[in-house]
Amino acid sequence: MLLLQLVINGILLGGMYLLLAQGLNLVFGVMGVVNLAHGAIITLAGLFTFWFATTTHQNPLLLLPVVFAVMLAVGVVLQRVLIEPVVSAGRRAELLSLMVTFGLSYVLVESGLNLFGSQYVSLPDLQTTWSIGGLAINEALVASGVLGAAISGVLHIWLRRTASGKALMATSQNQIGALSCGIDVRRMRAIAFAIGAALAAASGVLLILVIPLAAPTADTLTILAFVIVALGGLGDYQGAALAALLLGLVQSFVGYYLGGDAEYVVPYLLLIVFMILRPQGLGKAGRPIWSDKR
Amino acid sequence: MSLEERHIDTVFQPPLAAAQENATARRRRALATTATAIVVALALAAPLFTSGYLLQLATDVLTSIALAYSWNLISGYTGYLSFGQVAFFGIGAYATAVLVVHTPIPWYVAIVLAALLSVICATALGTVMLRLRGIMFALGMLGLARILGVLAQNIPFIGGAVGLTLPAQLTPIPVYLAMAAATLVGFGLNLFFSRSQWGLAAMGVRDDEGAAAALGVPTVRVKVVSFVLSALVPAAVGGIVAWNRSFLDPPSAFDPTLDLQVVVFTLFGGIGTLWGPALGGLVLMLVGEELWAYVPDLQLALYGLLVIAVVLTFPGGIVGVANRFGWLRRRPILAPAAFPAAERPAASTRTAAGSDAVLEVRDLTVRFGGVVALDRISLTVRRGETVSIIGANGAGKTTLFNAITGFVPPTEGAVLFEGAALAPISAFERARLGIARTFQIPRLMDSMTVWENVLLAAGNGRRAAHAVDQAAWALATVGLEAMWLEPAESLTPGRQRRLELARALALDPTLILLDEVMAGMTRDEQEEIRAVLRRLKEFGIAAVAGVEHVIAAIADLSDRMIVLDQGRKIAEGPPEAVLRDPAVIHSYLGELQ
Amino acid sequence: MGEGTLSGDKCGRWAALVVALSLLAAPAAQAEGPIVIGASASLTGALAVDAAYHLHGLELGIAEANAHGGWLGRQLELKYYDDKSDPGTAVRLYTRLITEDKVDLTIGPYSSGVTQAVAPLANKYQRLLIDPGASLPDIFVEGNLWNIQGIATSTGYLEGMLPLAQSHGAHNVAILALQSAYSLACGKARQAQAEKLGMPVVYNTTYALPQPDFSSIALAVKNANPDVVVACSYYPDAVGLAQALQRVGFAPKFLAETIGPAEAQFTSALGPIANRIISNTTWWASLKTPGNAEFIAAYKAKYHEDPDYHAAATYSAIEVLGAAVAATKSLDQTKLRDWLMEHPVETVQGTFKAGPYGIGTQFKQYMFQIQDGGRKLVWPVALAEGQPQIPYLGH
Repeated sequence: MLLLQLVINGILLGGMYLLLAQGLNLVFGVMGVVNLAHGAIITLAGLFTFWFATTTHQNPLLLLPVVFAVMLAVGVVLQRVLIEPVVSAGRRAELLSLMVTFGLSYVLVESGLNLFGSQYVSLPDLQTTWSIGGLAINEALVASGVLGAAISGVLHIWLRRTASGKALMATSQNQIGALSCGIDVRRMRAIAFAIGAALAAASGVLLILVIPLAAPTADTLTILAFVIVALGGLGDYQGAALAALLLGLVQSFVGYYLGGDAEYVVPYLLLIVFMILRPQGLGKAGRPIWSDKR
Repeated sequence: MSLEERHIDTVFQPPLAAAQENATARRRRALATTATAIVVALALAAPLFTSGYLLQLATDVLTSIALAYSWNLISGYTGYLSFGQVAFFGIGAYATAVLVVHTPIPWYVAIVLAALLSVICATALGTVMLRLRGIMFALGMLGLARILGVLAQNIPFIGGAVGLTLPAQLTPIPVYLAMAAATLVGFGLNLFFSRSQWGLAAMGVRDDEGAAAALGVPTVRVKVVSFVLSALVPAAVGGIVAWNRSFLDPPSAFDPTLDLQVVVFTLFGGIGTLWGPALGGLVLMLVGEELWAYVPDLQLALYGLLVIAVVLTFPGGIVGVANRFGWLRRRPILAPAAFPAAERPAASTRTAAGSDAVLEVRDLTVRFGGVVALDRISLTVRRGETVSIIGANGAGKTTLFNAITGFVPPTEGAVLFEGAALAPISAFERARLGIARTFQIPRLMDSMTVWENVLLAAGNGRRAAHAVDQAAWALATVGLEAMWLEPAESLTPGRQRRLELARALALDPTLILLDEVMAGMTRDEQEEIRAVLRRLKEFGIAAVAGVEHVIAAIADLSDRMIVLDQGRKIAEGPPEAVLRDPAVIHSYLGELQ
Repeated sequence: MGEGTLSGDKCGRWAALVVALSLLAAPAAQAEGPIVIGASASLTGALAVDAAYHLHGLELGIAEANAHGGWLGRQLELKYYDDKSDPGTAVRLYTRLITEDKVDLTIGPYSSGVTQAVAPLANKYQRLLIDPGASLPDIFVEGNLWNIQGIATSTGYLEGMLPLAQSHGAHNVAILALQSAYSLACGKARQAQAEKLGMPVVYNTTYALPQPDFSSIALAVKNANPDVVVACSYYPDAVGLAQALQRVGFAPKFLAETIGPAEAQFTSALGPIANRIISNTTWWASLKTPGNAEFIAAYKAKYHEDPDYHAAATYSAIEVLGAAVAATKSLDQTKLRDWLMEHPVETVQGTFKAGPYGIGTQFKQYMFQIQDGGRKLVWPVALAEGQPQIPYLGH
């Protein structure tokens, strides 16, 4: 029973991780850009949701579509103004895109600090815990896990089955090839970044129900998302799901048997060990990180 | 200008083509150097005569500059962006604190020992971490710093989460002097990187790691040593800070905002430049100290905006802007006052081996997953011979070259060079043995001049003077001496190919592999390349040319011709015979007609 | 160097020097000016919210002293800079206050972490430093001569919890501690206390922040099934742990957390889960300490909100310094320190009495419980505003 509960906890935690990682994965897959401001977008959306829910006393989940839509628009602007000039900068694109998103993350985090303060906040919605045959299952965690899985599923179907999704995948696999097939690569990048940012914001709305958030948590979320994406294989959507589950399960068991300190270092250790032993990640579609810079 | 057309300047700017200096100019420069040294010395001495606060502020400014200089070695010159160099600051701080608390060793000795310990740790960590590239390395280092932080929290001997208290002694002046010394060491290392062949090798790794290996640069060694050097000063700085504060705990030892500051300062001043870290640190610390007083809440947000603005508008930072006016520019490494006499260096380092066959490929097979790129290829190239390999795009020419030069591991079969198997030897060692190559699309070092591109290849294992002769000869051989101080990327495509040939020659090779050496060239440009190919025979260098389209331009120079089709060898022999072979006409030439 | 010395003649320069020397030699010449009290304040950065109370308490204490005629017939003036919640910056600012601004008296910064970095300066410059922002005991150990703790020590946090629980029939306890100096000290002290009281510690762990997942720790707690859970926490983990216990479906008879429950948004973040959580404080509005009612009234009038224990601590620090200055009739650092090491002072947060090496273990500790959205003092029993509600329900 204990083992089963640990497994369930691990799966639920994995679902939450998946939720916060997929936006980063999409942006990386299509543009080759690791958006270091990813966690900042999640956190800001979460803090905004808290502010909205406590001032209007409305159900925070009402914000989900609004935040998603607004962030799509903001994402397009950010991409056009900040990201596009650097991803088209040839050989230094990676360095410059890291720098720009690094800068952006500080702008967002500090704006968050000034707007919402440095305090950790969380919302008490969806806190029912069901007891099923001695197993405890929490509503908020299930919601975030289901949404994480759903987003992965929708992404997967969109990218493999629809024309626009396939165009996006083609862009991620071969930019020049996509260009020669008449795909507007710049437009694809804008779409990918906008959706990636919107996914991040949407996960922030849910995350505030699951864990306490504050502006300084942004970095940790970026790292967690990156660890999952890297473990799954950069740009691999099924691999990321696998990695999120793995991380959730390992943390669940390590935390129980070895305590909180050990649990804390699990993501970082897994990242380093995996990067060295299995650089292509858990999935099949991830690109090996050994490939040459060109 | 619309957003779409916005162009990002290069981050790492090549040294500008300096008008060659006469005696007056040299004297003026010597004067400027002396004046700079005096100003810096005075500026360093000034805080000693002020109040405790100003001395502390000056110490803090130097702390930032010393850390920025160290970060610049690995992330600026060598191109490996790290978000976790604070790991070595922490290691140094803890080593110093433990030595001071638990042993009678004086603090300044403890700092030196801490720096040595950090070097040992960096050697071990670097060997592992530098297998990662790009973002993986950057965030891998960040993860490493976090792990070290948690480790420190859990080791009671070093104070755990509570921290360590050092004996409180008021030593602001020795502390300041120690920090100034650390900063000068950091500056000295940067000076070394910006002036030496070692620095050139590091910049080669940064510009194009693969191409650098093909030019004989021991990339792994260069990366690890740069990493180790960039861990030396931060450890000393960490030790000095720990001593000065008399207190150390994990959050202050492994503080990620320290890395943020260092990144911002270096980027603002000019990443990968000699003066960038100092200017960035000085300007932002001093201006910042006053400016933030008015907008304290916005400091980090403004730092973030600054990073974005610098990247989008002048990614070269202050020094990059100054460069446009001809100031603070890097000088081409080891460039003599005038283009040197271009005699072929008398003693070729290659001893003529007994075997007549320079290259022997035996049953070489390369598979990528399920795809067979090369299928049991065998061929032999003799000394001084020119062999052309023709085949359509995807026939396996580039894969063959990659397998010979060690870029791709063979699935089966063997490659022998001068009678010895190459199997365990890495790409850069093969280049040093005398296997040179060019690339399908020229891979030049974009932050270097023409001269430095060639010197990089010439410099491997040679003393400076010898390397200069070798580089001059190689450049003269391909006829590029007139533009030796131009940025490499500013050359026309035809000249870029010749520059690649010059780099190959500079290795003093026995064998040159030429990948699509004449693709997309005008008749005149082809003629210039052909002239160089003819001279290879004079020098006794064997050449293997992979060609897809311009077969006529290579056929009359070839002793033999080999035809590849979908990874298999379908014909071999004298060019006239091969080109008449029905199988060849059917599979390859037929396609073209 | 002033403008005059640069442009003036030899005579002017000499005159300036004489004036400067006489200023140094004769402190009496300054007697007309205000007594300057220096401190750094975390106006920005991670600690800004709590540090605001810290600063308000200082400002209010000084304003009240001035309203009563100041000290030694001189008015008081507060000089402070923003340390951005950063220990390194704080070190530089205190160096500035001591060496350049030459302030007369110094008060410590907010938080144990920042104070740890600043405390050695007091010993180096031989300056008395009252530290009302550091509950950590480790600063006040052998070798410390110049720091005096101005708030209760964290080893006493929740010291009433185990006796209280035992008196209500609790048998065993789980102790969780965050990896930080103050909380580890608290955890160790509670563990030792449990052993002394004969209460088995059935689960004991430490954890680091930021940590998004407390479910495994909560599960381990559930498995050990303790009557009392004591968490030496900060705010985010106090929330996270309570949430996680609820998510694994476990409610101990008593749930006590150190920092967190006192914050206003703790109850809104947790909703009904927060109800009946017990926490500690070093000051409470209902205390009948001298001047407490006036302090609260003045604070509300000036800042339009209720004070908290941070404000009470800095307000008390000014009371303590004032008593020492009045008794010694001096601003001499050594005299002030020696007096304070010997004499008790009554303050709004109770009796100040420096322990060995300046530690503040003599301050009283209190516990309150969240009861239906409000907070009631429940320990010590003599001062309690109401009975503790038992058991913790967890929903």
